[in-house]
Amino acid sequence: MATRATWLQPSVLPGFGLTIGIAGTFLGLVVLIPIAALVFKAGSLPLPELWRIATEPRALASYRLSFGASLLAAVLNAIFGLVIAWSLVRYRFPGRRLVDAIIDLPFALPTAVSGIALATVFGPKGWIGQWLGSFGIQVAYTWAGVVVALTLVGLPFVVRSVQPALEEVEASLEEAAESLGAGRWTIFRRVIMPAIAPALATGFTLALARAIGEYGSVIFIAGNIPLETEITPLLIVIKLEQFDYLGAAALGFVMLCVSFLMLLTINALNGWRVRRHAGRR
Amino acid sequence: MSIALEQISKHYDGTAAVNDVTVDIAEGEFFVLLGPSGSGKSTLLRAIAGLTTIDHGRIVLHGRDVSSVPAKDRQVGFVFQNYALFRHMTIADNIEFALRARRVRVNERRRRRAELLALVALEGMDNRLPAELSGGQQQRVAVARALAHEPRVLLLDEPFGALDARIRDELRRAIREIQRAVGITTILVTHDQEEAFTMADRLGVMDRGRLQEVGEPRALYTVPRTRFVATFLGAANLLLGHDDGGGVRIGDSVFRPNRRSSPATVNGTEATIVIRPEDIAIAHEDESAYPHPIGTAAVTELEFVGSSERIRLKVTSSDHLQSALSPDAGAFTIEASRNAHDSETFPLVSGQPVAFGAKRIHVLSTRISTMRLIAGTEAAGKQLRESVLVRDLADRMHIVPSVRVTGADGKDPLLSGLAVVALEDGQGLAGAVRVLQAGACQVLAIGNGERPVERLLIYTQPSRPARDGALSAAGSLLRHMNIDATLLVRADERFMYGRRYRYLLDIRESALRVHGVDVRTESFRGNIVHELALRLRSSATTLLLVGVTSTASGRVLIDGLGKLVSREACAAILLTSARGEPEQRPVWPEFRRYAVARGAVARKTSSCKARFAADRNPAGARLPGG
Repeated sequence: MATRATWLQPSVLPGFGLTIGIAGTFLGLVVLIPIAALVFKAGSLPLPELWRIATEPRALASYRLSFGASLLAAVLNAIFGLVIAWSLVRYRFPGRRLVDAIIDLPFALPTAVSGIALATVFGPKGWIGQWLGSFGIQVAYTWAGVVVALTLVGLPFVVRSVQPALEEVEASLEEAAESLGAGRWTIFRRVIMPAIAPALATGFTLALARAIGEYGSVIFIAGNIPLETEITPLLIVIKLEQFDYLGAAALGFVMLCVSFLMLLTINALNGWRVRRHAGRR
Repeated sequence: MSIALEQISKHYDGTAAVNDVTVDIAEGEFFVLLGPSGSGKSTLLRAIAGLTTIDHGRIVLHGRDVSSVPAKDRQVGFVFQNYALFRHMTIADNIEFALRARRVRVNERRRRRAELLALVALEGMDNRLPAELSGGQQQRVAVARALAHEPRVLLLDEPFGALDARIRDELRRAIREIQRAVGITTILVTHDQEEAFTMADRLGVMDRGRLQEVGEPRALYTVPRTRFVATFLGAANLLLGHDDGGGVRIGDSVFRPNRRSSPATVNGTEATIVIRPEDIAIAHEDESAYPHPIGTAAVTELEFVGSSERIRLKVTSSDHLQSALSPDAGAFTIEASRNAHDSETFPLVSGQPVAFGAKRIHVLSTRISTMRLIAGTEAAGKQLRESVLVRDLADRMHIVPSVRVTGADGKDPLLSGLAVVALEDGQGLAGAVRVLQAGACQVLAIGNGERPVERLLIYTQPSRPARDGALSAAGSLLRHMNIDATLLVRADERFMYGRRYRYLLDIRESALRVHGVDVRTESFRGNIVHELALRLRSSATTLLLVGVTSTASGRVLIDGLGKLVSREACAAILLTSARGEPEQRPVWPEFRRYAVARGAVARKTSSCKARFAADRNPAGARLPGG
């Protein structure tokens, strides 16, 4: 009992043991055990062999595309998601609810469907693709197409994270800043941004994570040219189709490690920022 | 003048949050806006800061019209109820925010910050975050932050609302000291009466979007002008006094109201009297209460509250002693309070009969003290009572209207206060005229009373008593109803020659100063009845207020109005009559002399005058009521 009391704070709500038990089991079944299986599988390869598979030129090119395009898409989403969230929270315009509902569509749509739709629209004969083509810009079947697809699937994460944070920024804060002589840009930069930065970072992280893992929508628009527009998840599927389970596991393991490191870094940065500003209570 | 507000109005969704507020605030003054929640006081404050736009009016800060200047350029410091500190910034950064926005150099910023932190007694807190400070300290920081850019006006929006009582007291004193030290003109908004009294140099009481009264706290407490202010600032006993040959009789005493403190009080028959609980004197049953005995009562409740004792007395109504809240009730309650010394020397027990009197009384200047609904039958009276306008007025003026049934002989019973009749189809204003002739000073004739009134149109015949009667009735109405009011003034060609403009200004000045209400003035040409007919056709439900004289021209006007109300939809019409003034006494005697002095002008005006006279008294006009 004495040792338990040191880390378990007494709480009004009962059922700590039960809920933590369920949470642990659930996480274990759904997340940890499959990942452990993956690591285990990859671990059955000898290290030099693992290294060889992981650093094949085709694999390296796919990492570059997967992580680079995901990062770029997440940045784009952070910018435009913030703008969309801003207009949804700050302005009352006809059709606002409709726009609000449309934001969630990428969540609901099967990714293959959105991929095919994008490929149609951005393809050389598509509505937008045709128009862009007249300027000599090709989107479909290039890395740009990958970025477009990843931006689409990541957008709701940023909007939905930033929206509540923006709603919580009290109007009186901005009014205070204004009466103190601050212009609009100063108010945005020094009052609003610091208040929504953690939410924006969360949205960015989620969008990034989603983009790295995305498969369905990308393969239709990317063209999947080895060394050029082939993303890592596709490479894994190709290996699986050739019954090269170990190779697939090796690539999966690399993705797992890099993703985990990236998310860990972002969260750590954010945590440090939050502690620096709002902590020390 | 440090802050001048001129006829500020602000509407939200058609209802006025702030309605025609006009007030001047002197340099270095601590002005408090007091009012119940939803009275528009915060909206007014935010309008001054530029955080809210206004629909109408002018805001002048130190001689500069800032009505359309954005908040950031108004040189105003604003303190919010919830502090609105920037949570992610240190105290130092919070205070320096305004200086940084103005690109003040680092050294200067540091110096100013140190100065301000010393002013609010928070030295050494520079590097803390707001969350590390207590509520009171955070509000001090907010005050320091608002003063950083050396604004010339400081606005405080319920700054102590979120603090507990002890801290609140301390902070009040601190802010008052800071204000004196800096010498900055300050407006504080609060709903706390004690706060308003302790802090204010001058106090403005707001209710329903209107600035009801402005004055020093002591004056507003002892000699309020309106029922609202009398009852809102502390407890008040409202009694109905009756005219007794130049004085006001309540119970056994006759008071001669002080002309200076209570202008235009007794309108022939009755007046509302305010006696504060501490001004009630209590004596043994068989003695008379010094110095002004009023009557006898029974003690119903005794409450010990430490330094004093609260007493509730039950009084039985008589002809000379009625509650102004409900004149027809058989009995009413009086609240009294005594100090500990008195309660020891003359202990009371519940149920004990006592004599009571007043140490001091105050007669309100409101013209409407009671409401009497006059109808042919009880049922018609009940129907009148249910109309929206009567319900609204009664509710807001704290009056219980009584129903008077016209006697079988067709004679109306005693008429005083505001008489209310129904506008009957095809009858014109006949009913209202009968009541006026029976001696009432003001009659409200109510038409289809199902929709709330949205605006008030005021017109008064050009005679001083008629004008004063109409304006004071308008004042009473507007203080209790949040509606737009417009005063119509006839402007013929003759106005162009100068003097009548003065009349126009005079009438507004008089409305504002004497009757405490600011109305918009609009001029028109030609016949008033035609003008009213035009204005009634627009959609808003309208209450007409017409001040008439008891002269022939008055009767002609009433006749015209009678035809008008049977033709056009009109929610209600309030006639105020000025009795006993000499026939045809113009308010602008200078005018004639002026016209005669200029030949050409005189010719033109004389023809106008002839027209005007014909207009007033057309041949063969039937005078109602014989």
